[in-house]
Amino acid sequence: MKKRALLLLALTPFLLTQCGDGSKGGDSSSSNSLTIGFAQAGAESAWRTAETESITREAEQRGVTLKFSDAQGKQENQIKAVRGFIAQGVDAIILAPIVETGWEPVLKEAQRAEIPVVLVDRGVQVSDDGLYATLIASDFVAEGQMAADWLAKKTGGKANIIELQGTPGAAPAIDRKKGFEQGIAAHPEMKIIASQSGDFRRSQGKEVMEALVKAHPNLTAVYAHNDDMALGAIQALEAAGKKPGTDVLVVSIDGVKDAFIAMKDGQLNCTVECNPLLGPNAFDAVEKAVAGETLPKKTVVQDRLFEASQAAAELPNRQY
Amino acid sequence: MKTDSAWKAISTWFGGGSIIWTLLGLALLLLVDAVWVKDFFTLEWRDGHLYGTPVDILHQGSKVMLLALGMTLVIATGGVDLSVGSLMAVAGAIAAWALTAGGMSAASALPLALLVTTLIGSLSGLLVAVLGVQPIVATLVVMVAGRGIAMLVTGGQILTLQDPTLRFIGGGYFLGLPFTVTLVVALLALTLFLTRRTAFGLFIEATGDNETASRFCGVPVRLVKVLVYAFSGFCAALAGIVATGNIHAADSARVGEMMELDAIFAVVVGGTALTGGRFHLLGSLLGALLIQTLTTTMYNLGVPPTVAPVPKAVVIVLVCLLQSPVFQARLRTWKKAKTPEVTA
Amino acid sequence: MRLLRRQHIPLLATVGMLIVLFSVASALYPGFASLRVVANLFSDNAFLGIVAVGMTFVILSGGIDLSVGAVLAFTTILIASLVGAGWHPLLAISVALVLGSGFGAAMGWLIHRFILPPFLVTLAGMFFARGMAFLVQAQSAVVSHPFYDALGDLRLQIGPKAYLPITALLFLLVVLVGIVIARRSRFGRAVYAIGGAEASALMMGLPVGRTKVRVYALSGFCASLGGVAATLYMGSGNPAMGSGLELDAIAAVVIGGTLLTGGVGSVFGTLAGVLIFGTIQSALVFDGRLNSWWLRIVIASLLLAFILLQKALARSASAHP
Repeated sequence: MKKRALLLLALTPFLLTQCGDGSKGGDSSSSNSLTIGFAQAGAESAWRTAETESITREAEQRGVTLKFSDAQGKQENQIKAVRGFIAQGVDAIILAPIVETGWEPVLKEAQRAEIPVVLVDRGVQVSDDGLYATLIASDFVAEGQMAADWLAKKTGGKANIIELQGTPGAAPAIDRKKGFEQGIAAHPEMKIIASQSGDFRRSQGKEVMEALVKAHPNLTAVYAHNDDMALGAIQALEAAGKKPGTDVLVVSIDGVKDAFIAMKDGQLNCTVECNPLLGPNAFDAVEKAVAGETLPKKTVVQDRLFEASQAAAELPNRQY
Repeated sequence: MKTDSAWKAISTWFGGGSIIWTLLGLALLLLVDAVWVKDFFTLEWRDGHLYGTPVDILHQGSKVMLLALGMTLVIATGGVDLSVGSLMAVAGAIAAWALTAGGMSAASALPLALLVTTLIGSLSGLLVAVLGVQPIVATLVVMVAGRGIAMLVTGGQILTLQDPTLRFIGGGYFLGLPFTVTLVVALLALTLFLTRRTAFGLFIEATGDNETASRFCGVPVRLVKVLVYAFSGFCAALAGIVATGNIHAADSARVGEMMELDAIFAVVVGGTALTGGRFHLLGSLLGALLIQTLTTTMYNLGVPPTVAPVPKAVVIVLVCLLQSPVFQARLRTWKKAKTPEVTA
Repeated sequence: MRLLRRQHIPLLATVGMLIVLFSVASALYPGFASLRVVANLFSDNAFLGIVAVGMTFVILSGGIDLSVGAVLAFTTILIASLVGAGWHPLLAISVALVLGSGFGAAMGWLIHRFILPPFLVTLAGMFFARGMAFLVQAQSAVVSHPFYDALGDLRLQIGPKAYLPITALLFLLVVLVGIVIARRSRFGRAVYAIGGAEASALMMGLPVGRTKVRVYALSGFCASLGGVAATLYMGSGNPAMGSGLELDAIAAVVIGGTLLTGGVGSVFGTLAGVLIFGTIQSALVFDGRLNSWWLRIVIASLLLAFILLQKALARSASAHP
């Protein structure tokens, strides 16, 4: 018995220090400032971390109490988080859905509790789009198309392309593939000679490219669904004795800092920025939704394409 | 008869009769590659080193090989180490932190990463040996916490590293082969020396065979356990540094993910039983090679990585079955029944 | 009497920890101590709980089942695509449950017949089921059928704004049936006996082989039933779902006082283990300030604390009987 009490005692302060002054949330809802729950998908990439930081920073600046939850890449955790926010009675919820399906029941619950939900960076498939206030995201299809258009212009519509896909089944991977295929459809001499998933990872991008470059030595271009895979592929191309950026054109999507460094070094040719700094937009939407305004169902974040020639000038401005 | 005994000698040197099946599996896979994958075996001399798909397999497979060496000893004591994948991330993160924010040189950053990771690895050893926590649970705790520690160290970012030493370890060439091959050979030599030339190996097998009996015989069971987990942590740290050097960046979130399973797979396919006891270091390396060949073949055949686990599962079950004494006995009786006059 | 008490100490400790944990969270976070949060605990952790009940039997028998998360994912996407192809949901669910149980039984057969290590066979099972899930369909899909929607909307009101949905009811039912099977059936006693000492169980004339196959079949059944609960919970199927669920389930079973070596433990303890797991997660969401990587470290430390506490209790219980 003694031991048990001791261990309990040992555990309690640990919990207390972790949870500290968590009672703030309840108090602030009575005053003017808002309490917002943010259900983030995970922290798997620099892009994701930049998005989280953008939203946390914006919350601080606006004096909003932010309840943050990281689902660690699991949808079930994310649903739990949203339901937890609803039970807490937050004023609004920002949700960055991991996948597009499976949100109907929990969004209905939020609707019943009259808590508006703002979606960021990915849409959801629901029977009634009244279940969420608005979606703030990039257009993944357009991103793929921009990359294809640039490549078509640069190569004069002639290329043997190896495509590095993202995680199979993930919305950005599907849409970026679709957009790129639409983009090259008008150019019969632009062919995807091999397409394999690199799981959005740098290491996988390298490993897959090592294998593919040997099976398809006639490649002239690489299209990667994100910068990390492109950076891995560049290393594999170099090891295979090709000059990435000149012998083999490399285009990718996201626009992370490392991609700009690679462009400055002439190894990456262009990247389509997919802006993760959604904080200001998201909180504008949240404030309007809480005030009862009706919002447009989708706000498309404008993405820009950066070429190697712009890299040096743009690099200091990169936040992520 | 003569070839038979020669084969036996070779196979015991490689670690028991079960190794035949691993070799057979590897040969079968290479046959598939030879038929279906263009230029699979083409090797050229380029820029002062060998270049070709088999070299890639050796290079990419070295991470699992390093892990498998440590894992073999852990499994030989009757334990298992689920934390190695996370520990790879920890080592990469610490090395990256020391090289960038810490401003250290590789000569001090890499030993630091090795040391800290080994210490964290030995933590699970302490939990198992001193507190009697079951190995799966103890290493699960370190696995979950380890990834968190790695993310904390790198702040959730992918840190790009310019350090030439690190890049050489992960992607350089030595004697015409990837440097990682040298690393694996060196670690193998060290492990073989420790386990075959000192009493350590005997203690490990004794612990795995019968822990209670070993303790009564004066085997320092607890110390042995702490040491094998520490060694496994050390191997994971090396693998982590190789993985980090290979992509010139510390990717705490993704590096080593699910690799603990590959390492366990390699060890078991290599002929070491999960129940502990006798262990086969060379067999484990062959097992690791088998996995990597399988992975590379999948890439070449265009199988999406999400479906790739299916053939992996089939290989695991087949190899396990072929190694199972019960299955072998059944096979023999079946053969006998079919050709009674030959055996009679 | 004394023996009974000794056996029950780890279980009492687990329940005690659950109460302490919930009280601490309630004191820290306004609104935590509500019927709604309690109801959420049951509905949010329903599929983990159902899987963990099956896992309890496997661990009691001295084995382990790493395939449950993948089997659950396979079930969700199979149901989604079958219903999408025009099947009636009940038929799709039946097919999924039969496949899940059959898959478990096949693994159990391999483990028993060829004396293969459960860790490896179920590891292969995990790879296989996960790959098959992606083969069925690589992208998550909505389960849309009027019957399914009606089923998903079924719920029992237990208080103001607090409902137990069908998933939570299913979870409670599985726990009840699990307790009865473990305590009152011949199969349950055989499971405990095998986990305690397989050789003695064999000599006592217990059907060791049949029991082992059934244990893995039961776990496969629970995993696919967990998949059914997941589709009801989310209204969709996802082949990537439930990765790492096997480790959560094992952790819940261990926290619940079941020994990984087999023979000792209870289904009720697993219920407590799942609720502890859920309470920690809920508390962290209510807190909402924890960096995600701290989260992992905190969860690991808590898991460790529980195990050490149990060890200490078990030791003190055996030292002073």
